[in-house]
Amino acid sequence: MGELDSGVGGYFAGMKNNSSFKKICVTVVWSWLFIFAMVPVLLTLITSFLTADSSSLVVFKPTLQNYTQLFNSAYLKILLQSLYLATSCTLLCLIIGYPFAFTIARSKSRHRALLLLLVMIPFWTSSLIRTYAIMALIKAKGILNTVLLAIGLIHHPLSILYSYSAVLLGCVYDLLPFMILPLYGNIEKLNPDLLEAAQDLGAGKIRTMVKVVFPLTMPGIIAGTLLVFLPAMTMFYIPVLLGGAKNLLLGNLIENQFLSANNWPMGAAISMLITVFMGAMILLYWRNAQSKDKQNLQELV
Amino acid sequence: MKIYFKSIIIFCLIYLGSFSAFAKSNVVNIYVWTAYLPTEVAKQFTKETGIRVNVSEYDSNETMYAKLKASSDIGYDIVFPSSYFLRRMRQQNMLHTLDKDKLPNFHYLNPALLNKDFDPKNDYSIPYLASITGIVVNSDSIAPNSVLKWQDLWRKDFKNSLLILDDMREVFSMALLTLGYSINDTDPKHIEEAYLKLKSLLPNTKIFNSDVEQNIYVDEDAVIGMGWNGDINLSQADNPKLKFIYPKEGFVISIDCLAITKKAPHLENAYKFINFLMRPDIAKKISLEIGYPSPNLGAIKLMSKELQENPLFNPNEEILKRGQIQNDVDEVLPLYERYWELLKIGS
Amino acid sequence: MKKFTKQIYPSFVYLFLYLPILIVIIFSFNDASRSLIWKGFTLKWYFELFHDSGMLTVAAHSIIIGILAASLASSIGTITAVSLFRYRFFGKNLLHGLLFVMIVTPEIVIGISLLLLYSATNVPLGFWSLLLAHTTLCIPFAAITVYSRITSLDKSIFEAARDLGASDFVIFSKIIVPLLLPAIVAAWLLSFTLSLDDVITSYFVSGPGFAILPLKVYAMVRLGIKPEINALCTLLLIGTLLLVVAAQVALKKNEKVGE
Repeated sequence: MGELDSGVGGYFAGMKNNSSFKKICVTVVWSWLFIFAMVPVLLTLITSFLTADSSSLVVFKPTLQNYTQLFNSAYLKILLQSLYLATSCTLLCLIIGYPFAFTIARSKSRHRALLLLLVMIPFWTSSLIRTYAIMALIKAKGILNTVLLAIGLIHHPLSILYSYSAVLLGCVYDLLPFMILPLYGNIEKLNPDLLEAAQDLGAGKIRTMVKVVFPLTMPGIIAGTLLVFLPAMTMFYIPVLLGGAKNLLLGNLIENQFLSANNWPMGAAISMLITVFMGAMILLYWRNAQSKDKQNLQELV
Repeated sequence: MKIYFKSIIIFCLIYLGSFSAFAKSNVVNIYVWTAYLPTEVAKQFTKETGIRVNVSEYDSNETMYAKLKASSDIGYDIVFPSSYFLRRMRQQNMLHTLDKDKLPNFHYLNPALLNKDFDPKNDYSIPYLASITGIVVNSDSIAPNSVLKWQDLWRKDFKNSLLILDDMREVFSMALLTLGYSINDTDPKHIEEAYLKLKSLLPNTKIFNSDVEQNIYVDEDAVIGMGWNGDINLSQADNPKLKFIYPKEGFVISIDCLAITKKAPHLENAYKFINFLMRPDIAKKISLEIGYPSPNLGAIKLMSKELQENPLFNPNEEILKRGQIQNDVDEVLPLYERYWELLKIGS
Repeated sequence: MKKFTKQIYPSFVYLFLYLPILIVIIFSFNDASRSLIWKGFTLKWYFELFHDSGMLTVAAHSIIIGILAASLASSIGTITAVSLFRYRFFGKNLLHGLLFVMIVTPEIVIGISLLLLYSATNVPLGFWSLLLAHTTLCIPFAAITVYSRITSLDKSIFEAARDLGASDFVIFSKIIVPLLLPAIVAAWLLSFTLSLDDVITSYFVSGPGFAILPLKVYAMVRLGIKPEINALCTLLLIGTLLLVVAAQVALKKNEKVGE
């Protein structure tokens, strides 16, 4: 987010600005996030370098062991599985969510709020309850199989529940609004004249989409991708309930370390490692995007 | 719009103000397994004594322990640890030493379930309910007589069909029993053997679950596997085809206990509540509603003859003798944990 | 083709979103306590729900926490986004990083570290600890949602306003907020949803006296689904839908008066 817009930020920052409003804003934001986000993160970081102890959970004995233990093939396998799930989930959410957000954002303005609200209302019911509803839908003797068997489309019940597809379905269902909302917020402000102009200039529909709309809504796509991908990396009850707890993901690993194994330093270390890993990936992406931006700019000039 | 919003916030604040005044009154704070204390019982206690019962719930010993460890003066008076956790909490000085004079109903308890290794003189714990882990089969799909021992779960024809409890100690106990060892074994060699034994069970495993195992059996998403007697006892109302088997090699008996926390803010009320739970009519109500065998002989006497003789609900002494009481494995726990994680990753 | 994109496709997505909800409603009338297979019609779960007065209090607690946390988080999220976009200040990049770290940190880690923080500073566990935790949890989501819109605003507006002598506060309240409103609303909705649904963090930062719905629900479904909970969800859903309809009607009336 930051690096991408440093040009713009620089433009504003160039102006001397020391209004009291700025001071208040920055103080509120900083103090809140310092106390409730920074301190816990630091606590986690420190814990990840300490030693686990069976009677007092954590003892103050600095060690790197929590990290060195993580470098083995078993954990790598889990990391890859989680990455795979999070990527497929994000892609599916984007594919389903983009056209949807686009249509809502382009509908009559007095309908938009209602349509958006209708997206969110299902999610005000606990996600666990909804997960159980999905189970009722896809279980061996569930609704889907009953209907399909009754109309003769299949002859043996499908076993979807307790499989990888069930986990993916659950993740997509649970995270879809986190894709739709940022997309909507971004697409909504697209100037319709711009699209018309592009088409008037002879650009086809698909061309308009690819060359004009996508680049313009990129911030929304990035925001949505972040909000879906990051939580998807550490999901934990969906694999348990829909996958039968057979395909462990990073989230389960961390949960196990904190709760069953009572090994807080190890759990903290895994969590820190994910953070660093994801941070590196995002940074790489930004660097790439930035250099591409510059290229485009140069081409234009 | 703005006015609406302001009034909502003001309403919220007033509401909360009235709430916090309410919270200071005469209460007892219970921290209990999910759905493990019938609401009726709590209500009756309030009616009889005027003491309000605040119930918070947890879903595993580990989560309860983690929360108490992170914040010991959290305000809970009574917790319900299982036998093997009770020992750990007792050794770590997290529990209050019970004064039996304040618990006159203590004499109703079944001596067969008292003074066990995890708490030799019951100085810290009162048995609440006992649970037994056995084999569950759906008699429609599998003849119950064909499955008599844990070893049968390894049969080739059960490929990808077992429900295995998502509970480390239970699963290792099963393997240790088939190998002829104690369920509380601390010999690293035996534990490794058990791990290898369990690894060979993975192809047969369909689901790991310990939260809604009764739903899975009732809806026949799995037709054979591990289960707890109380859950199956209640589930038979929804699916009479379910059968519970006490395996030949032996089985785990876990006693869920009542204990008072070290820093309990409402000590007297906590004693009153525990004594209330040991009253035969109340203990009977609890056992019937939760479905697990009661350690309270007074309560069993009040039950119908049919229930008294139901081996699933009231296992007689002969059955109890074949079981082993779950205890803490202390310093080898991390070893168990490591093998358990490997097992789950390997699946 | 046009009809497909305009109507049929969104309807499918709505169907996808509402199908599980529909199932919840159907099963609130199911005459079985431990099964997700239809066994027969009953109203008994609704009666049980009304006997259990605690349940309704718990639902009220959750809605209050949700409204307050969402309002706080969307306000702080908005000023975070605006500050990040407009100002240069100490630790700006760190703040960026922090927002991202908070999203990627598993809830259980946030929950436990907040619990440690609370117990170190003697904050009693209950309403305040929950509100603070929920707000914190929602801020990054709100900030990112708002930020994704702010970056594409036409910057010349601010310049013009500044040239006309508008103070920062005026620019913020009269220009930025109205322009960002759709994103702020989206952020509020996201935050409210997160707060209503948060189990893991809430588990650690809640105390004995103040129960909230997600935990109650979690507790009830962990040991088999009690259809009572389906009944409660159905009622809450109907309540929400009624509110939405009422709001729509009120809006329409306003429009007419305006005409």
